[in-house]
Amino acid sequence: MNVLSIQNLSKQYGAIQALRNVSFEVPEGSVFGILGPNGSGKTTLLGIVLNILKASSGTVLFYDQPLTNDIRKNIGTLLETPNFYHYLSAERNLAIAAEIKEKGKENIDAVLQQVNLYERKKSRFNTYSLGMKQRLAIASALLGNPDVLIFDEPTNGLDPVGIAEIRDLIKRLAATGKTIIMASHLLDEVEKVCTHVAILKKGTLLTAGAVDEVLQTEDIAEVAATNMQALANTLQTMNSYTSMSKNETVIQLKYPAGTANLEAINQYCFNKGIVLNHLQLKKKSLETKFLELTNQ
Amino acid sequence: MLHLLKIEWLKIKYYRTFWILSALFALSLYGVNEIVYTAQHNAFASAPQAQMLIGTPPFQFPEVWHTISYVSSYLLFFPGLIIIILMTNEFSYKTHRQNIIDGLSRTQFIYVKMMLCVLIALVSTIIVGLVAFFFGMYENAAAFSFQNVQYIGMFFIQTLSYTAVALVIATLFRRSGIAIGIYFLYAEILDQLLSLAASHYLNNAGQYFPLESNDNLIPFPLFKNAKEQIIEPANVTYMLIAAAVYLAIYFFVCKRKMETADL
Repeated sequence: MNVLSIQNLSKQYGAIQALRNVSFEVPEGSVFGILGPNGSGKTTLLGIVLNILKASSGTVLFYDQPLTNDIRKNIGTLLETPNFYHYLSAERNLAIAAEIKEKGKENIDAVLQQVNLYERKKSRFNTYSLGMKQRLAIASALLGNPDVLIFDEPTNGLDPVGIAEIRDLIKRLAATGKTIIMASHLLDEVEKVCTHVAILKKGTLLTAGAVDEVLQTEDIAEVAATNMQALANTLQTMNSYTSMSKNETVIQLKYPAGTANLEAINQYCFNKGIVLNHLQLKKKSLETKFLELTNQ
Repeated sequence: MLHLLKIEWLKIKYYRTFWILSALFALSLYGVNEIVYTAQHNAFASAPQAQMLIGTPPFQFPEVWHTISYVSSYLLFFPGLIIIILMTNEFSYKTHRQNIIDGLSRTQFIYVKMMLCVLIALVSTIIVGLVAFFFGMYENAAAFSFQNVQYIGMFFIQTLSYTAVALVIATLFRRSGIAIGIYFLYAEILDQLLSLAASHYLNNAGQYFPLESNDNLIPFPLFKNAKEQIIEPANVTYMLIAAAVYLAIYFFVCKRKMETADL
C-alpha cells in the first residue's frame, strides 16, 4: 500500500520551473528520503503535498485519496523552519497546534519529554536557541502520535549531539511502523536512516526507489604487491570483476555490489606465485554516488 | 466555529501587545469624549449664545448617542490597526503556514480572521455604547432615552468597515510595516482624495467611496438646523447599501487571496 502517491507534479514560479513532472510513490512503513542539493525543489514538493503551495499541474494522493484537511491533522509535519508564535511559551504554542489537530492537551508534556524540552516548556519561544526551536517543531509534529511524519531538514541547526538524538528518534519512530518522509541534503543522514530514496535535481526527479537499488554501490577490491606489473598480468587472467584500474601503488578491481570475494583473490594470486602486500575492500560512498547522479 | 474561535483565543490570550493596545483604546474612547465634553461645557459657560447656535446640548439624551458616536469615530482607525498586527504576525511568524499544515483549511484560516474583525468591531461598539450611556446619565438634564441609538449601530458598521479594510491590506501586503503605512494613508488621506476627485468629475459619486460613504453614516452632530439648509444630508439607505457591498468585496478579496495564493 502506498501512503503517498505523487503524480506528474509540476510547479512554476514565473519563469522558474521549480518542479518538472515529478512522480513517485512512498510505500507504507518506509523511511523515505527526498534527497537533493539546495534549491532542487524538495520543500516545494512537500509544500504542495501540505496545501501551502499550489501545484501548476499534477496530483497528490494519500492512500489513494485526495489529501484533505482532516488527513493533515493526522500527519506530523516539520516544514522548512519551526513556525511558532514568538511571544508564547513552548507549552502554549503546542496547545494551539493540539487544538488545530484536535488532539488532547495531555499529549503535550509527553512530546516535550521526547525531545528533551520539558524543563524549558514555560520559556517563551523567542528565548530558544535554533536547535531548541527545531526540537520544538519536531515535538509539535509528534502530537497525537501520527502514523505518518514529514520532516523537512529535521537536523537543521542542531549540534552533533542533537543530530544524533534526532536520528535515534527517527529510527525509533520507524521501528514502530510509522512512515517517515524526510527531505534532506545531508547524504549521510539519509544513508543512516532511510529505506527508500528519491533524488531531485533542479526540479527533475533523477531516480526513486529502495535505497539499495537506487544507490546500488559497487565493491572495490584494492590490491598491491611488490611487483605490480606481474600482479596486473595475473589479475588480467582472473575474470570475476567488472573492471580494473591501475595506478602506481594499487590496483582497483570493481565488482557488482556484494560479490567481491577477497579470499578468492588472495588464493588466486598466491596460486599464481604472487604474494599480496595489500588487500582491502572499499565501498563506494553514497556521496560519490550522489555526485555522480546529480552531475549527469 | 467554536473550535476556530478557541484557536484564535489561544493566540490572543497571552499576547500582551494586544491587551495593552485594547486597554488604551478603551481608555481613549472615554478620553476623546471627555475632552469634547469639557470643551463644550466651557463654551456654554463662557458664551451663552453658543447654546443658541448649537441647539440641544450634545451630551444630553437623546443627542448623546449621536455625539458620542461621532466623536468616537475619530478613533475608528484603531481597531483596524489591531487587526493588521494580528494578521501580519501570522505572516511574519509563518504560523499561517503552520496552521494550515496542522490541518486548518485555507478558508477556515481566513474565516476566523473575518470573525475577529466582527468581534473587535462589536466590542468597540459596546464600549462606545457604554461611554454614551455614562455621559448621558452624568449630564442628567434629560430623561434616559433610546431615541437616536441607531447611531451606535452606525458606529458598528463603520468600525467593521475599517477592520475589514485593514484585513484586506494585511492579507495583500503581508508585512506589518508596509501594511500599517498603506492602511493609515488610505484611511486618512487617499480614500478622501479619491472621493473628492470622483465627486468633482462624476457628479457626487465620491460620497459612495469605500470609507467616505462609511464616514457619512454618522454626520456632524452640531448645528443641525443650520446645516440642513446648506447641504443635503447623505441618503442613509444608500450609504448602508454601499457599506454592505464594500464589506462583501473586502471579505471576498481576502478569501480569494488566501484560497489561491502560495502561502
